[in-house]
Amino acid sequence: MYRLVASLAALLAASVAASAPAQAEPERKSPLAGQPAVRHRLLLVKHRFELTPAFEGSVNADFKHTLSGGLKLEFHITDMWSIGAVGFYGTDLDTGLNGRISKDLPDEVDQGDPTPTQQQWDEHLNTMPIHGAGYITITPWYGKLAAFSKFFVNFDFYFSAGVGYAQLKNECCSFDEDPAPGGDLDNGILPDNNPNNDPALNDGSRVGGYLGGGIHLFVSNWAALDLTVRDYLFQDNPSGLDFDADLAVSDDDNRFLNHLFMGVGVSFFLPATAKRTP
Amino acid sequence: MKRRFVPPWFLAASFALAAALLAVPGLAQAQEEDQPDMTFDEDEAKKQPPPNDPKQPGAQQPGAQQPGAQPGAQPAGGEPEPEPEPEGEVKLGADPTSDAATRHTELGENRISWQDIVVVVRKPFLKQHRLEILPMWGVTMNDNIIRHFQFTGTLNYFLTDVLAVGVEGQYYIKDLREPYDLVARQARRLPTVNKYNYGAALNFHYVPIYGKFAILDSHIIHWETFFTAGVGFTQSEVIPRDPAYEPFTNFLITPNVGASMRFFVNKFLTVNAGIRDYVFVDQFEAVGRTEVSGDAAKEDADSSLINNVVFQAGISFWFPTSFDYTTFR
Repeated sequence: MYRLVASLAALLAASVAASAPAQAEPERKSPLAGQPAVRHRLLLVKHRFELTPAFEGSVNADFKHTLSGGLKLEFHITDMWSIGAVGFYGTDLDTGLNGRISKDLPDEVDQGDPTPTQQQWDEHLNTMPIHGAGYITITPWYGKLAAFSKFFVNFDFYFSAGVGYAQLKNECCSFDEDPAPGGDLDNGILPDNNPNNDPALNDGSRVGGYLGGGIHLFVSNWAALDLTVRDYLFQDNPSGLDFDADLAVSDDDNRFLNHLFMGVGVSFFLPATAKRTP
Repeated sequence: MKRRFVPPWFLAASFALAAALLAVPGLAQAQEEDQPDMTFDEDEAKKQPPPNDPKQPGAQQPGAQQPGAQPGAQPAGGEPEPEPEPEGEVKLGADPTSDAATRHTELGENRISWQDIVVVVRKPFLKQHRLEILPMWGVTMNDNIIRHFQFTGTLNYFLTDVLAVGVEGQYYIKDLREPYDLVARQARRLPTVNKYNYGAALNFHYVPIYGKFAILDSHIIHWETFFTAGVGFTQSEVIPRDPAYEPFTNFLITPNVGASMRFFVNKFLTVNAGIRDYVFVDQFEAVGRTEVSGDAAKEDADSSLINNVVFQAGISFWFPTSFDYTTFR
């Protein structure tokens, strides 16, 4: 009997000893599970105004480049979302293509020659002295980089979408205009089938879409280099001549075009101090 | 056979041991429950530690000193206590922009939070002595008459982690854009256009910039920026203004420069995107061409310096597919 009790006691002790470590160690869980990706991070944009004097130039324009200076104003509602507006005033520059075309066109053409004169060509082209946009921005990426293992810079990527605006302008027309482009059969005016003397219908205000993206390179807690790509999308007819081959210039010749710009600016953030995350 | 006798003290000891072992898990759990939860809250870290509980055994009243205790004295049977951090010394993890009072609170002698742990993370991706196979797609960015889609195959060998030498081959597909037709129809002028057929280059790559970023505050992505410079050739071909004329081709020495970004996906896969400028002096059909023969027209060709700026994107495959760190963590 004593032997049986002793054996049971020893067995009980052994089983308890074997099971004790398993019960004493709860399931291991990483202390980083569910935690934010970055701790103690500088909130470089949250609840701050961004004021950016900027310059931008058109990319791959057909006939007239636009070089412009302007201002970007943005308020960062959260660390990721912001609202803002940009406005630019610019001047124009002939593209290489337009330079070659314009200088090769004649000053005078014979009756019935479909070639435009240099004057007609140049005056039909439009320029974009004013453009801008209102938009919302998402800043989904932020980080830091090291250049040459010496310079350490915070940065973020952002993407914008909104409403674009452009004020277009042309020099048309110092030549004799066609009073009825495409003809006016009700009044007995037949079409002259010459779009070169039709008024260019590619000036005035245009409203369209806006897409943008860029990167902030923070040189301090309150200043950053701002590199951007912006696309203003609206109805346009850059040449101001017949596009749809009906031998007359009309509103139908406008089509939805991209107007791509690349820009650079220096952003100033207010207030000048930035908070940190826990 | 002699009967073995089990003494009562052995039975008592056995049951006492069993009871004690049964009680151990309960003690361990109770200990966990009694401990305060670990937090990642900065406020928690900034709190001054509570004074020692006088009820705790061995607790010491504020200001009290054990008899004979000296700063830095060695406890009995133990290692010497480390000296406290000098006050005002900036440590990693501190906010250098915070005021002195806050910094003092954060960097006090009682460092009780996870944020006090300073970790130097290894580079997540090593490139030294690895081969990168990079197929890329590209599109020209600066030609408003003709657009080329570029398909590129690249082999790069990394001599060090920041320097690589490689070769690339390009194949182009042309796409005439809207102004090509418009200029002909509206201005009655036929643009002089060349298309590109193929090319190749020997390149060097240098990686001076690396970094990491967080996407939507949840995922960390490592990336780097590298610059490329090289030299090679491009074959261009004239698109005759008059289809009755013969085209001719040009062999063009082509230096190139560029900047690209590389995003690390895993140990053998990266995503690349960048811009490359292929520079060459191209030979164009003369404005007043009258020769039908391509060879004859080539002798009268007009020259022009061309910057063929291409946006490129691709996915890299790295071999060997893994790597070993040569230093201890």
